[in-house]
Amino acid sequence: MTDQPLSLLQHWMKTVVTERGSLSEKLQSSSEQHGLSIEDVVAEKRGLSAQTRLSIYTSGYVLRLLDCMRADFPALRNFVGDSVFDAFAKAYIINRPPRSPSLYDLSADFPQFLEETKPQKSPLDAQLSSMLDLPSELARLECARAEVMRAHGTENDTVRAEPFAPFAIFNEDITLQATPCLRLLELKFPLVDFLRRSDQGERPEPPTPRISFAAIGRSNYRIHMEEVALWQLAFMKACEHPTSLYSAVQHAARESGKETASVLAELVVWLPIAMEFGFLRQVT
Amino acid sequence: MQNIQHKRLGLPLLGLGVGLRNQHFSYLMRHEAQVDWFEIISENFMDNFGYARHVLERIAAIRPIVMHGVSMSIGSTDPLDWHYLKRLKALAEFVQPVWISDHLCWTGVAHVNTHDLLPMPLTEESLRHVIGRVCEVQDFLQRPLILENPSTYLEFKESTITEWDFLSELVRETGCGLLLDVNNVYVSSYNHGYDPEHYIRNLPSSSIVQIHLAGPTDCGGYMVDTHDQPVPTRVWHLYKLAQELTGGVATLLEWDANIPDFPDLVAELRKAEDALKGIFPDAAIHKSGEADVVSNPVDFQLSLKR
Repeated sequence: MTDQPLSLLQHWMKTVVTERGSLSEKLQSSSEQHGLSIEDVVAEKRGLSAQTRLSIYTSGYVLRLLDCMRADFPALRNFVGDSVFDAFAKAYIINRPPRSPSLYDLSADFPQFLEETKPQKSPLDAQLSSMLDLPSELARLECARAEVMRAHGTENDTVRAEPFAPFAIFNEDITLQATPCLRLLELKFPLVDFLRRSDQGERPEPPTPRISFAAIGRSNYRIHMEEVALWQLAFMKACEHPTSLYSAVQHAARESGKETASVLAELVVWLPIAMEFGFLRQVT
Repeated sequence: MQNIQHKRLGLPLLGLGVGLRNQHFSYLMRHEAQVDWFEIISENFMDNFGYARHVLERIAAIRPIVMHGVSMSIGSTDPLDWHYLKRLKALAEFVQPVWISDHLCWTGVAHVNTHDLLPMPLTEESLRHVIGRVCEVQDFLQRPLILENPSTYLEFKESTITEWDFLSELVRETGCGLLLDVNNVYVSSYNHGYDPEHYIRNLPSSSIVQIHLAGPTDCGGYMVDTHDQPVPTRVWHLYKLAQELTGGVATLLEWDANIPDFPDLVAELRKAEDALKGIFPDAAIHKSGEADVVSNPVDFQLSLKR
């Protein structure tokens, strides 16, 4: 028998479990990398072959993680269908084996993977080509929503926020900050309503491409996801760190091309909602 | 409901418990807990500061909690993941668990985490390696680590030690405790052709602090630890034997796929009381001809449903 230290055996088995291809291709690859064959490593007992024993681990590896990804992206599955979703998810699992002990990190790179592996755009059909961006964009939105569910929020703030009076914005002393769970996205499609309808079990028609902005926050453990205007996005981005309301208004006006007075006027209605939805909070 | 009748490793007898799962959050926030204690999957709560953490805080205020991990990878030849261990310790400071457990396994190497509980080659080298790491982890956590026997589907030709002897020596050298999964004993003994009762009788029963129960799947020729079925009669017999040998330790029913409603889960758990009286549920082992049977399902951790 060859000398098989623990480290060698673990590297051999990890290669077999995570490598691409059929079991025989995996074994070939592992043999080339580590100099061990299945006959060298795995005992056969009770008439159950070493191949069958090993395949419980190799097939289980992909299926177990595939189940996790299905749970992470219900709307994307609903949109592309199970067979297409599974094909991309399996390719992702094989190409980007997980490195984190947390399953919450498993799907973090999936939107980027979808973006990188989407079919090349055809110049012949611009509308069809632009639709190829939809899966990765939807995946981004679902990932962001899952992050918001798990992130630190404002529920345990020691000082409970009072409802924000609409005309309080004219108080120059107000300092605002984005909540730790706020996620802001620029998307190539208006996907907030699409995701909401998918959550309700519908199979909505894919939206026409257009740039949209989404804000996702959480208050009292309830997720709030809204499509927002450019000035609202800019306003919330300005509040990444504690910022005076007036500075954030100036930033929003500058970024959106709106008049400062116009931003202030719209804030009267929107800021109390943004705070109620857990997008922003007042700090002292 | 809470019994603290005798202690082993300074740890109390908790009674009958179940895993705290997302699927039951809504029910548990509106109803009595109905069980003596809860086990959480540590990784499910470590990086979760949303509703799950809120539910955990509420449950921990009324019932003992045990933290059960799946990613410590105590047997891996990669260095210990101190970032993981620090987060584990931080969660323990928040939860104040009665104990912390994980598995005698490795989950990956070369910085890959397969999220499976992979089998250890049972050699002297492995034993020394795991002993060293258990000691490091126990020193860091400032408490005994409780290790569970995994279900396994292959054995290494290199192995020279039986699993029960490996665990016994590990206990003797480190002072760690054991989480005896009687279903895993049944699954592994079926797959490898040894006597499950012999396995259980040859463990140091005074170091067993907890028992896991679950239902496996017969895939024709081998058994898989699917955590998705009622506990079969054969496993109930092993449970009774283990409880006789230990004198009675905390019992936990694992059910991680096709998760039943909470009252049905509790009803399955209560069968443990009958089993101890010698009244064994008549439950056959679930058979499956499907090719996609998954051991150690983990997707319940990501369910968005409450």
